[in-house]
Amino acid sequence: MKISVPRRLIIPAAVAGALLMLLIPAMPLLAAAPQVAGVTAWWVWVLVLFVFSFLLGIVAVLGGVGGGVLYVPIVSSFFPFHLDFVRGAGLLVALAGALSAGPPLMRKGLADLKLGLPMALVGSISSIAGALVGLAMPAQNVQLLLGIVIISIAAIMIKAGKSGYPEVTQPDRLSQMLQISGLYYEEFGQHEVSWKVHRTPVGLLLFFVIGFIGGMFGLGAGFANVPVFNLLMGVPLKVAVATSGLVLSINGSAAAWVYMFKGAVIPLIAVPSIGGMMLGSKIGAKLLPKVNTRTIRMIVIAILALSGFRSLLKGLGI
Amino acid sequence: MRNGKKEGGYADRVQLVYARMLDYVAHSVIILMAVGYFLYLTELLPLSVPIETISGNWHLSAAHLQAKLNLPCGWGCFTSPAGLLHGDIISYISVIFLSMATLFCLTSAVAVFISEKKHLYSAIAALQVLVLLVAASGIMTGGR
Repeated sequence: MKISVPRRLIIPAAVAGALLMLLIPAMPLLAAAPQVAGVTAWWVWVLVLFVFSFLLGIVAVLGGVGGGVLYVPIVSSFFPFHLDFVRGAGLLVALAGALSAGPPLMRKGLADLKLGLPMALVGSISSIAGALVGLAMPAQNVQLLLGIVIISIAAIMIKAGKSGYPEVTQPDRLSQMLQISGLYYEEFGQHEVSWKVHRTPVGLLLFFVIGFIGGMFGLGAGFANVPVFNLLMGVPLKVAVATSGLVLSINGSAAAWVYMFKGAVIPLIAVPSIGGMMLGSKIGAKLLPKVNTRTIRMIVIAILALSGFRSLLKGLGI
Repeated sequence: MRNGKKEGGYADRVQLVYARMLDYVAHSVIILMAVGYFLYLTELLPLSVPIETISGNWHLSAAHLQAKLNLPCGWGCFTSPAGLLHGDIISYISVIFLSMATLFCLTSAVAVFISEKKHLYSAIAALQVLVLLVAASGIMTGGR
């Protein structure tokens, strides 16, 4: 009897398998990471980091999450680098990904400056504050909190729905004053979509909180930006995803300076992470139409939960 | 062709200017980063701190590593012109350039908003530039 595996499952399974292949042998090595780091040649770590970031880049795109949110918990849990450098690199990884994806989305009117700028303004201020607080706290406490945040993100990803074209009957006064509305061409259905927003004040407040968390843990905050834009403010999903990248690039840039001035950015770690993630994201975008994204999303949630749990244990000193 | 028309048609002038600037900056960052890292790893230029020294200490916190090795941080890498001819410093400058990318784009957006007399968004974008400039100045972090 022949067992057939759907083609759409093969690529996600292969990518997830490759990630696990990298992680599993690394686990015993990394249980005593600092000591092992002294034994293993530096270029091995750099090479593994590049390959790992490349695979993460593929998985992140296919799973519909930003690279930073996967990068920080996994690399901080399974590599010998101090959490400070991982967070610094994580912000730059998220920033680079958002920048490289930005131009076409801006030209199509999907990433919207009028929607993104007010949110980025409050988010960037809080992300600087978050970065300052995060770097002032003992690493073990940050690692513990990171574990809690990552497990919460995994839970949000399981629970949160999404809405392609939310209905906004009455835009709020603030959004009218800021003239936040737009029109874009939906290539899939070949029609125009006009949109407006509501609950802008609550959105601003949430972007403040998200910015703080992003800065503190070095995470790209697409996981939170998108539901706030889409489910709370009524922004169409594609505009929400694209504008989230714009907000993320501004917030990430603001917080990255804090990490740089505190000496938490080392090119030896940051550059291969950025390069790997950018290359992987490009491959991921090409694979996107060919794979079962629901399967890969479940794998991403499982990886997040696993790395969040590992982070939690590391934070507890276990 | 039709898509090209559509793209331009659904974006304001400010978005198109922002996108063009972002395109230039993003490509320049990628090239600078690749060149800088190549110079760093191959040691074609001397290094201010050997790679082995960094890898031997990357388990330390940023504060401890700074205290031990006095690595370049923030604008500190520009303090000595001779220091710029180091592979690791050039790689670090590429990271600085990445962090400045958004600042370039936002500055171009401010100019467009002002030219179109969109006062509210001129103010918001200018405030955003100010926030990034404050962050980049190192005032908040006591940086160099």
